[in-house]
Parts: sequence; structure tokens; C-alpha cells
Amino acid sequence: MSEIRSAPMPPPDEEPLIRMDGVHKWFGDNHVLRGIDVSLEPGEVEVIVGPSGGGKSTLLRCANLLERPTLGKVWFMNEDITDIRCDLDAVRTKMGMVFQQFNLFPHMTALSNITVALEKVLRLNDAEARDRAMEQLQHVGLEHKADSYPGQLSGGQQQRVAIARALAMTPRLMLFDEVTSALDPELVGEVLGVMRQLAEEGMTMMVVTHEMGFAREVGTWMVFVDGGVIAERGRPKEMFANPQTDRLRQFLSKVL
Amino acid sequence: MAEVTLDTRPLVREAPPDTRGPSSPQSLTALWLGIGSIAAVLGGTIALILNYELSPRVLTPSCIDLQLTREIRGALGVCNFVEALRSSAETAVLLIGIALGVVAMTFGWSIRGRMDTLRRREQAITGAILGLQGVFIALVILAFREGRPDLFAKNFLNFAVIGPYFPGPFFSAIKNTIVLAFVGEAGGIVIGMVLAVLSLSTRSAARAPARAYINLFRGTPLIWQLATGYFVLLLGFDIRPSTFLVAMGIFALNTGAYAAEVFRAGIQSIERGQIEAARSLGMTYLQAMRFAIVPQAIRRVIPPLMNEFVILIKDTALVVVLGLTTSQQELFAWARAGQSDTFNATFFTAAALGYLVVTLPLIRLVNAVERRLRSGLVGIAGATP
Ligand SMILES: Nc1ncnc2c1ncn2[C@@H]1O[C@H](COP(=O)(O)OP(=O)(O)O)[C@@H](O)[C@H]1O
Ligand SMILES: [Mg+2]
Repeated sequence: MSEIRSAPMPPPDEEPLIRMDGVHKWFGDNHVLRGIDVSLEPGEVEVIVGPSGGGKSTLLRCANLLERPTLGKVWFMNEDITDIRCDLDAVRTKMGMVFQQFNLFPHMTALSNITVALEKVLRLNDAEARDRAMEQLQHVGLEHKADSYPGQLSGGQQQRVAIARALAMTPRLMLFDEVTSALDPELVGEVLGVMRQLAEEGMTMMVVTHEMGFAREVGTWMVFVDGGVIAERGRPKEMFANPQTDRLRQFLSKVL
Repeated sequence: MAEVTLDTRPLVREAPPDTRGPSSPQSLTALWLGIGSIAAVLGGTIALILNYELSPRVLTPSCIDLQLTREIRGALGVCNFVEALRSSAETAVLLIGIALGVVAMTFGWSIRGRMDTLRRREQAITGAILGLQGVFIALVILAFREGRPDLFAKNFLNFAVIGPYFPGPFFSAIKNTIVLAFVGEAGGIVIGMVLAVLSLSTRSAARAPARAYINLFRGTPLIWQLATGYFVLLLGFDIRPSTFLVAMGIFALNTGAYAAEVFRAGIQSIERGQIEAARSLGMTYLQAMRFAIVPQAIRRVIPPLMNEFVILIKDTALVVVLGLTTSQQELFAWARAGQSDTFNATFFTAAALGYLVVTLPLIRLVNAVERRLRSGLVGIAGATP
């Protein structure tokens, strides 16, 4: 947001956890993001909605630099992570991401999916990694599936393991990219339930979703991304009740 | 969280019922006619040849007319083979086979449309196909024995001449063939991995040398690489290398180029989401490769790498251009040495059998592994190592 950019250093308790500052992204000559400003304080949940192809995924992937912004800066925990000297691997341990297609490692059990990064990245020993992974599996209600392979789990279970895998790194920020879109309808609820609980526990999250009920109830903020810009931002309930732009009105009439 | 999912029910593994239905006398007749045709032609011919070879006989006047004299090593064996082929019993066997085959073809093919169960139709069509094969083989044998089977057998099927070169040198040659191919493949896999990593780099400075290497070795004949590689060392670097070592080295370098492409394709076939998930957990590029990508890619590259190995086994024959000492001879060099000593090409027939002994089990293995991969048992979904 522009007032943040021009403001002097805010007091520490209002320091945003993540701030995207004038982010642009081109894929070839496709100008996908056209100046994105995001600022999120600890404990806030930002839900990102908008039409397909509008740039929501790209926005999220620019937050953890899976895509490097062509222009603009991303600040995370008071560090400019778009600086090329920044250790992105270290940054990403503090920023979990969950994907639409789960992306579990198919050759590892649910448990190993979680412990591999604990052991290889955070350098925990076997027992510590195992304990922490089991704790997270319990958190998502899947401790009895620890030794199952992804192919033996339902979509909803796989996605919950993916969430547990990200949470085990003890991230400060969680990024969710349409994590229920690939699920059969009867499996959506269990994943949303986990995310809702996570929000209640105070996790800071950026959530791209088409689940409008979830957006309304869980979002601290909602942004409407359309054509590579944030066309509208506000409190979800107000935006649903009172959309300011025609585009958002159209969009809501289609998805609700 | 409460468990709200219904657990997926375990699949019941059970063979499906046989739904092909009963056979009928008509379709069985067609089938047995076809089988009879093949059996008469192949079985009859083989039985006759064995009978002539194994029963005590002497050189016939007609053989002696054909220059198959007592002085020629293996003359009696060749004579028996020719006599068996030209015997009237063989003529009878071939004519019976052709007659059965023609009947099987016409009968099986004409009734196939009227067959009312799957089994009946398959029997009718199979009978027709076997009949066709029986007729074809019989005609080939008929034409062959009208030619010069004596000359052919004397030069290509006279296994008696191999005696002094068998079994010691022969099996040593098989061993050398396997050693050359195995060392070449192992070295090639190492070289290929390095090249694959380089050729996947986003930096063209790293990619370019790898591409140049791969293009050079994939774009020139292996036989040129063997010959030139030797002289590069001998003249260019003034090193006098063992030809066997040069061959191993060139095979490794050449296989490296092909293996690099196999690895690259294998790595690129892993969904992008896998590396993104690994990187988003804080893994470095190399960690993501090592723990997430490569273990999955390995399974996909095993069949193509095994195919490369089978090809390499046969390509080791090209080392004859380098000349090998007797103890270094692989199968083809062994055959060539034997042939130039005896002026008899039966050594090449023996070499072919030697190659088949090595390659056939490997080919079976590749097919089995591919089937397993395709059936998903070690595939990407539901991986249960
Ligand atoms: N890796 C990429 N390379 C090229 N174009 C891309 C890439 N990722 C996304 N795009 C393009 O960027 C646009 C926005 O995509 P995306 O961020 O996935 O939208 P959304 O998630 O809102 O549906 C689309 O036109 C898409 O084709
Ligand atoms: Mg998307």
C-alpha cells in the first residue's frame, strides 16, 4: 500500500511480517503482475480471490520467490528477500507453501515427506524429526497414516499431510494456493477445517481460494486480483456486502 | 481434527472369469490344422536333420561330388545335413506341411466370421495364421535346398571347425564382451549424470560445453570415435595405449552422451511441482535433486538405460577396428580371428549365438521391468518400494 511505502519506520508491533512493494512480473512479454502492494501483519489472514489467469498464483509465488519479481521488492521479517544476496533457502524455511496438486514426494511415506526437510534442512536428528513430524500429523488428524505412501491416501489426506509438512518447519507465514481445488467435494471440508484451525491459532496466512464461505469467515483481509493488479482490498464481509467495482460485482455474482 | 474421510476400501485382487466361451469341433479343426502344418515343417525338418546327424553314416558319393571329402574337417556333418535336406522324406514332410497349411488358412479364415464365441473365433484365426507360417517356412526351405545348401552349410554351419577355439577362447571372448560393455556402461552413467546436470543448467556457459560434447558423440559414428580416439592418444598425446583400454574409454564417452539425454529426459519428466515443493521447504537445488527428483527419475530411466546396455553389448563388436591381442578378443574379434585362420564363417554363426546368450536374458529383464513400471508397481502413483 502506498502509505506504507512513504511512511517512516513504523513501531515494531505494527511491523508487517511480509510486504510486497510495487511487484511486477513479466513472463516473456506477458505482463502478468502490474504493480502489487501487499502488507500483512502477524496473525492476519489475507484471502486472495479473482478470476482464473488474473495472476493470483504468480502473486503468491513471488512472495516466496519461486518466481522472482521482475520489478519491485518483497520484504519478509524485515529483510529484503529480493536482494540477490539474500539466502532464499533460509527464508523459505520460515515461509511454508501448500499447492493445489499437493506435491507430496510419492516415493516417501507421509512421515518421511515431513522428516526429510527437518533432517536435511533444519539438521534435526532422527528422533527429533520424527517427534516433530508425528506431532504435526496428529495436528491434522493423520497420525495413523504415518507409514502410508501418498498413493495410498485420499486427496484430502494428502493435502493435510502437505500442510503438516509445511507446518513442521515452524514457518512464520503460510501460503496456500487453491489447496482445495483438486479435491473431490466431499474432501474439501476436512482441509478447510485444518486451515481454519490454523488461523485461529494465530498463523499468518496468504490464501488463494475459491471457497467464498471460508474467505468471508476466516479472512482478516480480502484482495480481489484481476488483470495483474489488486483491484479491490478490504474486510471480506464488507467486500461481499458492498463491492466497489463492477468487476468484483461480476465475479461475486458468478462464484456465489 | 476429527477424521471425516471414509478410508478408501482396499481393492479386492481376484482374477476375472474366463468369458471367452466354449470351443467347437470346427474351430478346433482349423487350429489343429495350423499347428499340424507348423509341426510337420519345423518339427519334421529338425527331426530329419537330427536323425541324419546322429545315426552312424558315411560320406555319400553325392557329397564327395560336392567336394565334401574326408580331408575337410566336419565334412561328414555337413554331408548329413545336406542329405537330410534333400531326402525324399524331407520332400514329403514339406508337401504335407504345405497341404495342411493351405487347408488351415482357407478353412480357418473362411469360418472366422461365423464363429459365435470369442474362443472359437480366436482358434479359427490362430489356425489360419499358423497355416500361413507353415506354408511360408516350407517354401523357404524348398527354395533353399534347390540352391547350394552344401556350400552354405560348409561355410556357416560347420561347427566342427570351431573345435580348437572352443570352449576356452569362446567363453573368454564372451567375458571380454561383457567387460567392455559393462565398464563402458558404468563409465557412461557417471559421465551422463554430470552432463545431464550441466545440460539442465539455466546458464548457457555451463550448458554449451555439455551440448557440444553430446552432439559430437551422438552425431558421429562409434567406429570413427574408436579409430580416431586411438590415434588422438597415440599421435596427438604420444601415449601408446592398450587398445582394450581405449575401447573401454570410448565406449564410456559415447554411452555418456546417450545416458545424458536419458537422464535429462528422466529429470524433466518429473512434475515441476516436485522441485517447487522441495525448494519451498528450504532445500537447496542440489538437495531437492538428491532427495526429491533423482529418486523418482531413477525409476523412469532404468529401462532406457538397460536398452542402451543391450545396444552397447552389440556395439562392442566394433573394437575389431582397433585390433586386439588374443586374450583381449571379444566375441566378434574371436570370430574374425577364427575365420581368417580356417577360412570358415561358422565362427560368425557361433558369435551370433554368443551374443544372443547374453542379450536375450537382458531383453527379457528390460521388458519385465518396463511392464512393472507401466503397471504402476514402482511407478509414480502409489509407489510402494
Ligand atoms: N511459468 C510461467 N510461464 C509463463 N507464463 C506463466 C507462468 N505462470 C503463469 N503464467 C501466466 O501468467 C498468467 C497468470 O497466471 P496465474 O498466476 O497462474 O493466474 P491465476 O493463479 O490467477 O489463475 C496466465 O496468463 C499464465 O498463463
Ligand atoms: Mg492459480
